[in-house]
Amino acid sequence: MDINTLIEVALIIVKVIFVSLILFTLPIPLTWIERKVAGHIQVRLGPFRVGPHGILQPVADMIKLMFKEDIAPEKADKWLFRFAPLFAMIPAFAVYAAIPFGDKITIPIINKEVTLYISDMNVGILYILAVGGISVYGIILGGWASNSKYALLGGIRSSAQMISYEIALTFSCIGVVMTSNSLSLLDIVKFQSGTILGFIPNWNIIYQPIGFVIFFIAALAEINRIPFDLPEDEGSLAAGYHVEYSAMKFSFFMLTEYVAMVTASVLAVILFFGGWDAPLFMPEIPIFWFVAKVGFFIYLFMWIRFTLPRYRYDQLMSIGWKILLPLSLLNILITGLFLL
Amino acid sequence: MSIFKKIFFIDFIKGLSLTLGYEVSKSVTMRYPDEEKWAPYQRFRGLHTLNRDAQGRELCVACELCAKACPTKCITVVPMEDDKGIGISDRIAKVYEINLVRCMFCGLCEDACPTTAIRMGRDYELACFSLDCAAADKKRLLAPREIPQEFEGGYVVMARLERNKEGINIKPDLTRKKRWW
Amino acid sequence: MEQIFFYIFAIATVASAIAVISLRNPVHSAISLMVCFLQVAALFILLRSPFLAAVQVFIYVGAVVVLFLFAVMVLDLGKERFGEYLHHQRPIALVVVIGFVFVMGFTILHGSLDAQLGNYTEKALVKNTEIMGKLLFTKYVFPFEVVSLLLLIALIGAIVLAMKEKR
Repeated sequence: MDINTLIEVALIIVKVIFVSLILFTLPIPLTWIERKVAGHIQVRLGPFRVGPHGILQPVADMIKLMFKEDIAPEKADKWLFRFAPLFAMIPAFAVYAAIPFGDKITIPIINKEVTLYISDMNVGILYILAVGGISVYGIILGGWASNSKYALLGGIRSSAQMISYEIALTFSCIGVVMTSNSLSLLDIVKFQSGTILGFIPNWNIIYQPIGFVIFFIAALAEINRIPFDLPEDEGSLAAGYHVEYSAMKFSFFMLTEYVAMVTASVLAVILFFGGWDAPLFMPEIPIFWFVAKVGFFIYLFMWIRFTLPRYRYDQLMSIGWKILLPLSLLNILITGLFLL
Repeated sequence: MSIFKKIFFIDFIKGLSLTLGYEVSKSVTMRYPDEEKWAPYQRFRGLHTLNRDAQGRELCVACELCAKACPTKCITVVPMEDDKGIGISDRIAKVYEINLVRCMFCGLCEDACPTTAIRMGRDYELACFSLDCAAADKKRLLAPREIPQEFEGGYVVMARLERNKEGINIKPDLTRKKRWW
Repeated sequence: MEQIFFYIFAIATVASAIAVISLRNPVHSAISLMVCFLQVAALFILLRSPFLAAVQVFIYVGAVVVLFLFAVMVLDLGKERFGEYLHHQRPIALVVVIGFVFVMGFTILHGSLDAQLGNYTEKALVKNTEIMGKLLFTKYVFPFEVVSLLLLIALIGAIVLAMKEKR
């Protein structure tokens, strides 16, 4: 091993640590933003007492979650109950191994070029969809291991929902893969650079509007956000799969949910909105545009959460199988015809 | 038309724009203990006050009409002779105590009073940690209030939350009014 | 380096495969199956076939085992329902297994299990997905179509079985 490989390996380790640290701390601002958005949409203020404008509220919540008693039901499957939150969390984090946040930047002082992704897999999009799909095990197993009616129902709902919508989600991505001719996310983003007619950004949303709509709806269902959050339906299932969870295990589930939301936003940006490509002659700043677009999508998810009511379970299934799936197949067909 | 609506998610966008409108609108939350406080109207029936006249003499003549009028019999009045000019006549209340646990704030005592000595005030923060404060004695009733009688009321004023050993006190700043909602 | 990884994954595969059939609780079996599939995916990566690995994770881990779990939970197969259903099959099974192990061991030791190396270099295998797609739709188009037809028939069969007769 020569010195260059060592530096590369060290760089990868640093990147991994950096990304996971960001992901671990991400729920802290996100919970605050979500509660603020909820508050203002409901014409109230949201958290206000801990720190200025309640900005320290998530820190207080975190301290509370850390020191709460960790309760496991007596008849629970002890091992699975303990490992289910990890089953949910690890895939949600592993997804970020393949996500590019930007192309390359040069660190000024040591004058070294650093790529803004952990690895550029040639099957990136497939990897993300596959590994992201494993996350559902945490929900199913957590629901089953709790040995509680509501948790079990939440787990079962989650598994059926996830299988129904994963197909539509993948098929909607196939359209993008067909237009940009690659499975690698880096290539997909590079394909979207430039403009049409001189001013419209050359993003996939222009070519794949149906694909984007299907992707967005299916992603909402995949990450269990509100119109489709039936696995944790407060109205009919108490809290769904995490009824029996408390303290840190519960916070792992929360963490997974927020990370999944960020993943869905990141995927939407990379696949349909040109990744870090700056819109409308705006100056190209590394990472900034990417973060701005992802932030918009995260806000959109929250916005939708406090706008729409929850679907019924049979409605959820019929949307998935009778509308989204045929539409996504049609989208592939149309894309194919255009490419010919 | 309805198929057009479905394809372009018209209803969905309408819903989103509605919530966005609420999001940017002013919130109705009154930041009560921290920064704001509701100053009630003059007709509000809160903790009673015993009033004084312009010379600072007690208006109460201990006629006990309030105690008689009280439906819950929560007012205790013990009269005594006095010639030092504390009251407006030579008869003042030696003991004037209202049992706030029994009082239902109906305001009949106020109606019965011939000298307008007892009035329903505007203090509503009556919670405390022990039963001591459940009985309001003469000293407490005579003490000047943070919201004076003449104050018009009916809006939110800025306030300051004060913590001390006795508990929490929310001090209103009556000069800084704020229209609520 | 690769050898070490191969042995780690291989041992994990075999161990989890044994766990699938020996664990009494159907949910635990399903989880072992999932672990087994994941290890197989890892082996695919060692074989320079990330596409197959991703598909393996995607289809088997992400969908098939989830469906297994779904069925197990909905049907509530408890431990007691999963009892002994082997009716004097043990001696026969034993003979078959021993015969299989013998044949396998013999062929491996004899060296006749070596597959011929393909004509792709490691560099060409970066475009692994493209190569596979092209091969599927040119050289192997007939088996591909047969398999898809088979799956379609199975799909229709499942629907027919599940559909109740209308009066």
